[in-house]
Amino acid sequence: MLFAARIQGCETTGPPGENYTMKKMTGLTLRYGLGILFICCLWPASMFAIENSECLECHSDEDLTKESTDNILQSSITVQLYVDEEKFNHSVHNINGITCVDCHSDIEELNYDEDLPHKEYLETVCCATCHEEEGDAFKSSVHMEILKKGITMTCYACHGYHYVMQMESASLAERENQYCLRCHNPYQYHEWLPAKDSHFAMVECIVCHSPDVPQEIHLHFVDLVTNKLYESDEIIKILGIGYDKFMPLVDQNEDGLINLDEFENLILLLRQKKVHARFHAELVADVVPVAHDVKRGIAEKTCQKCHSANSPYFDAVFILFKLEDGTVDRHEVVRSVLESYNLGHFYLMAGTRVKLLDKIGFLLLAGGASVVFLHLIIRVLTIPVRRKKKKMSEEKRRFSDE
Amino acid sequence: MSNKKRIYIHPAPVRVWHWINAAGFVILILTGFQIRYADILGWIPLKDAITIHNYVGFVVIINYFLWIIYYLGSSEIKIYIPDFRLFVAKAVRQVKYYGYGIFKGDPNPHTMIPDNKFNALQQQSYLGIMLLLLPAQMISGVFLWKVKGYSDYINLLGGIKVIDTIHVLLFFVFSTFLIVHCYLATLGHTPLAHFKAMFTGYEEDH
Repeated sequence: MLFAARIQGCETTGPPGENYTMKKMTGLTLRYGLGILFICCLWPASMFAIENSECLECHSDEDLTKESTDNILQSSITVQLYVDEEKFNHSVHNINGITCVDCHSDIEELNYDEDLPHKEYLETVCCATCHEEEGDAFKSSVHMEILKKGITMTCYACHGYHYVMQMESASLAERENQYCLRCHNPYQYHEWLPAKDSHFAMVECIVCHSPDVPQEIHLHFVDLVTNKLYESDEIIKILGIGYDKFMPLVDQNEDGLINLDEFENLILLLRQKKVHARFHAELVADVVPVAHDVKRGIAEKTCQKCHSANSPYFDAVFILFKLEDGTVDRHEVVRSVLESYNLGHFYLMAGTRVKLLDKIGFLLLAGGASVVFLHLIIRVLTIPVRRKKKKMSEEKRRFSDE
Repeated sequence: MSNKKRIYIHPAPVRVWHWINAAGFVILILTGFQIRYADILGWIPLKDAITIHNYVGFVVIINYFLWIIYYLGSSEIKIYIPDFRLFVAKAVRQVKYYGYGIFKGDPNPHTMIPDNKFNALQQQSYLGIMLLLLPAQMISGVFLWKVKGYSDYINLLGGIKVIDTIHVLLFFVFSTFLIVHCYLATLGHTPLAHFKAMFTGYEEDH
């Protein structure tokens, strides 16, 4: 209705060829009229766009469904057409101002005179129209390859339709439960991998399966005593500051990086607020288009890539805050925190080993070896003393025997 | 040879246990170095090092239980228990011997007999190793083998990093022990006498 009203509005203020109207207009009215017409012509999309609220007039009905055919099974299915407005409002698309008709672009107008105000069968939404790089990366992925087997893998098979969330600050469980684990059971395919449980719990699938994607460590706040995982807003509330004051509070040398001392201070600060803060760390992939290029058979299997003190996999360490408007604040933390006992649940053989233990260990070994070596040297040097003593005692014995 | 008396010191089960343990320790230490310093050492692939370390670790654990069963079953465990009234004096005497008397050619203050084959320092060290350090190493090793499976216990003890710290520190202690132990084994009447005895079971008394 709004759409129609706007059309009408534009029409009544516009047509310049009607002399009757022109005569009745004063010069001032004419100037206003032409001005409005000019704006209408310049800005038609926003002036006439279909609002989300119009779509939701029908699609907020939970019983709204349609009959369709399943692409793979070729069986008839009932498709739900309900859109949860609350969930949609939190979606990454809505946060970025993407409306219903930006994706469903074949709906140009709504005809409320009909039972169904738009055509019955809409065109399939092509995500790659906007997400071009992601689309290109996907084309060479294993998920595209399965098309040869007759299986069509759509974007929304993983991402869903209307509630696509920003994944940058998502936890490993959120990332994997929404994506890979919906189809794949990792325990079926990783016979070769030692400590499967630990790998699956700490490392996101595409860290290995899409090796070109930059990796990073995300730190999450956990209470040591209650084992509670804190969300960004809870930590900010506990600290009694705004998101914008977090770095000024923590990063005392203002170099944009939370160093080890600043990290320890943050923990002390939280302890003063009765939070026994520890950090839970996860190795995840950066959310970049190339993450869609998941390959078959080229997954990273070289253990030393990660299990090395110089592994680049741990160069980027971040605390991420999900802000209320859906955007993410990234605060970089120095890599050496991974050796800290405040990350008591994150340990990677060789990769994040505590260097202090190496020093203690080599001191022990060197101490033991030195004592042995010194003892041996003295033993060798004192051989003549013992020979002399032995000779004397033999002579003494011989003398006493005689 | 006339002044040499052969004494049966090491029964067969003890010798078998000892050499399985020795081989196990050497393999565990070598693979342990490979695992911890995978970025520096390239002896064998990390995955293989972990696999070998896990299997040999369980062999050493089973071997430990054989030791426990043998010593508790035969009441021979008493050779590991120091006489607390005389312990300090005996230990001081033994330290003096190793630190000074041995160089002069003094006789060892401890005489090895089947019922009392360890000197005071050996008794103390082996008791600590067998009843405290080795169990701690085995338990921490099992926890590291199945981190998720034992996560409740691991969390109770302060997290995986604490468990790893225990395991690594003990790894260095055992590595150092091995060096010192092998050296001390050369202090018999000939450098190889104690080694031979651990194969034959017989020590030669001088």
